[in-house]
Amino acid sequence: MIRAPLVKALGALGSPTHQIASRAVRTSAVVAQTPAKAPEKIEVFVDDIPVKVLPGTTVLQAAAEIGVEIPRFCYHERLAIAGNCRMCLVEVEKSPKPVAACAMPVMKGWRIKTNSDLTRKAREGVMEFLLMNHPLDCPICDQGGECDLQDQAMAFGSDRSRFTDINYTGKRAVEDKDIGPLVKTVMTRCIHCTRCVRFASEVAGVDDLGTTGRGNDMQIGTYVEKLFLTELSGNVIDLCPVGALTNKPYSFVARPWEIRKVSSIDVLDAVGSNIVVSTRTNEVLRILPRENDDVNEEWLADKSRFACDGLKRQRLVAPMVRMPNGELQAVEWEGALIAVAKALKNAGGQIAGVAGQLADVEAMVALKDLVNRLGGENLVTEQDFIKGSGIDVRSSYLLNSSIAGLATTDAVLLVGTNPRYEAPLVNTRLRKAFMHNEMQLASIGPNIDLSYEHKNLGADASLIKDVCSGSHEFSKVLEGAKKPAIIIGADLLARPDGAAIHATISEYCQKLKKADWNPFNVLHNSASQVGAFDVGYQPGLQRMLQNQPKVLFLLNADSGKLTRDQLPKDCFVVYIGSHGDNGASIADAVLPGAAYTEKQGIYVNTEGRAQQTLPGVSPPGMAREDWKILRALSEIVGKPLAYDTLDELRSRLDDIAPHLTRLGELVPASNSEASPQTTPNKSISGGAIDVKLKELRDYFMTDAISRASPTMAKCISAVNKQQRQNEEAKQSAAI
Amino acid sequence: MAGREVVKRAVQQVRPILSVNREEARKRALNLYKAWYRQIPYIVMDYDIPMSVEQCRAKLREQFIKNRSVTDIRVIDMLVIKVCPILPLLFIKETQLMNIQLLLQGQMELKESVEIWKQKGHIMRYWKESQDPKPTDFLSKFIQGIN
Repeated sequence: MIRAPLVKALGALGSPTHQIASRAVRTSAVVAQTPAKAPEKIEVFVDDIPVKVLPGTTVLQAAAEIGVEIPRFCYHERLAIAGNCRMCLVEVEKSPKPVAACAMPVMKGWRIKTNSDLTRKAREGVMEFLLMNHPLDCPICDQGGECDLQDQAMAFGSDRSRFTDINYTGKRAVEDKDIGPLVKTVMTRCIHCTRCVRFASEVAGVDDLGTTGRGNDMQIGTYVEKLFLTELSGNVIDLCPVGALTNKPYSFVARPWEIRKVSSIDVLDAVGSNIVVSTRTNEVLRILPRENDDVNEEWLADKSRFACDGLKRQRLVAPMVRMPNGELQAVEWEGALIAVAKALKNAGGQIAGVAGQLADVEAMVALKDLVNRLGGENLVTEQDFIKGSGIDVRSSYLLNSSIAGLATTDAVLLVGTNPRYEAPLVNTRLRKAFMHNEMQLASIGPNIDLSYEHKNLGADASLIKDVCSGSHEFSKVLEGAKKPAIIIGADLLARPDGAAIHATISEYCQKLKKADWNPFNVLHNSASQVGAFDVGYQPGLQRMLQNQPKVLFLLNADSGKLTRDQLPKDCFVVYIGSHGDNGASIADAVLPGAAYTEKQGIYVNTEGRAQQTLPGVSPPGMAREDWKILRALSEIVGKPLAYDTLDELRSRLDDIAPHLTRLGELVPASNSEASPQTTPNKSISGGAIDVKLKELRDYFMTDAISRASPTMAKCISAVNKQQRQNEEAKQSAAI
Repeated sequence: MAGREVVKRAVQQVRPILSVNREEARKRALNLYKAWYRQIPYIVMDYDIPMSVEQCRAKLREQFIKNRSVTDIRVIDMLVIKVCPILPLLFIKETQLMNIQLLLQGQMELKESVEIWKQKGHIMRYWKESQDPKPTDFLSKFIQGIN
């Protein structure tokens, strides 16, 4: 089975499933990691500067090594080499023709001239051909100002045009395609770099995009009329060097020179993708990925990218208190805080707090300190996890293999998780391992489409025991692997037998463990979860409900798992959060907080990496940063918290858990502390394992922000429409 | 040695700015007050401020009274020249007191007002101190939304 174009490039002939061939692929893919017999470096000269590179390095990479950037359109570091734009032509001494730098491996002693007359003439010629069929619509093009073609035409193009349309035939024009609610196409602008096609087939794993026709008639499209629906579709917008694929919700909104860019972190899943928030006039306009090789490479999932219009809808802009007639009434901050303080005074220490999906670490610490000061102990996360003492050790709830590490695995078992929709950028890593590392993947749970081949072992929970006892056939694969990994879904551990599953798997992982490799992984799906455990929150609402709280704080807790009926009648519910969603609807007092683009807050991702968001805009109306609300409340109750500024709060964080303030660093849980737990006497009770997010439709709305987003709603209806059409087509075919 | 120098410095004559005695300073202050007093109707008209002449005169008086306790001649002179004037009250008889405690912006301010070098906002700024001072403690900052 041919997994990657790389295999073709290497010329692995014969059956690629054959042992030797696949081993050849494996060694070639991990060549960088085996320094044992590093091949001899060869010397080439780029603009007369000598540079030593490994054999097989392309001219473009060799030039990049000494900081010479060769212009390119089709070449992209993270995609396969296509070599079809010809922009990277450079002169090589004694070569009769200029060579395409992106595809040509260097030879010993080559003298590459990246700025000679021949090179410049070649570039100018290519540019002229590209512009001949490119419309001159830069003033109304969304890519204007951040367009590779624009920039390179200025830098390398001719200063005058020879394009005279003597027959008045006009330029080449191509019909626009409707490929969904996220990506807008203006296909006439396309220069056929095929980056989008390669991205779709290599990274996203959906072969929906392709080319038809040849030469001047070549077109990029979806062959038949259909939508390009994947959870990673937005990335083709970034990849497109021209304005052929642009951001549909952002079209005609702003120019790149008008916007202010703030580096931040995404919180809509537990990956913690690095993002750039583009803002103007106190409005979030769009979100782009920021490169971070350890987390999201340079991709971004669609929800993270497009749900930002949910930040403007359904916002809480004023504090509210529930009136005797049962309606929430907007009040001033003083009134709301005093109402809450009164309830707190009457509660007599029966106070509880629930941290939801989008809560930042600062707010959670402030809430914990406040509740503790008032004599409460009852702090839980909304997302359930194993019961018992499972979270005492940090490594028992982290993705220990690290996100980047997953790309180097060679055998993976997924248990009750669908990484494709729970954490799309973790799935791209697994896909990468599958493509380049001959990784074998099996899953226990419903049979889902992961965008690459995997073996579904079944949905029965007893399979976990089979695999972990070594009797299952996949156990041999795991035990024989150099870097095995078992990934458990966070939702699975919420089951009554979650603790047994957790213990069984972590015990088995002790056996699979290598010196610098921990195969035990938990894939969370809420951004706050790891941070909450790190600062001492307990999992699960049940624990909190048993204690019959008189005052309950909901910190961004919006999942709707908690209803009014579960709570005692006299319980006073205080909601702190940004959106009017499930949490606010059951609250007696609503204190409007800031969303993740409006505050400086720390979030810990599923692998335990603490990163912070930065404020791009100010909170709307009377909304305040969450921890400040709690700090103000503490003063009104008469037990002021010991921090007035963010710095003081951060030093408090530092006291609780020093890794929380080491931003951007991955602090791995030490291997030694992951001692096997006392074997629980509970056994895995069985019952089918299920995952929540099975299809693309389920992916788009998972939290308060994406539920408020009109773009996400459009995505869901597009998926539904597509499915209806498919069914109709099937029916008519059957007739 | 050191003690002698201190004594010397204390009795040293300070160089006057304009006035040599308190009487002169008082006159200067009075003159400034009168000049402002006469200018006020024109200021109200020229700058088109939403204040009546009476309100302005009250403000003028207020500004002078603010500095009534200043006794240092040099400070009085400086206030007369530049900013807000004063009243050398110590040297004023009780009967005169009412007429005198006047004074408003110094000559510089007056000149700027007369020449229309100012704008409306600059004039209205005399009434500005009624604005609330900026909060300093956490809770009031929080309630006002100031970080």
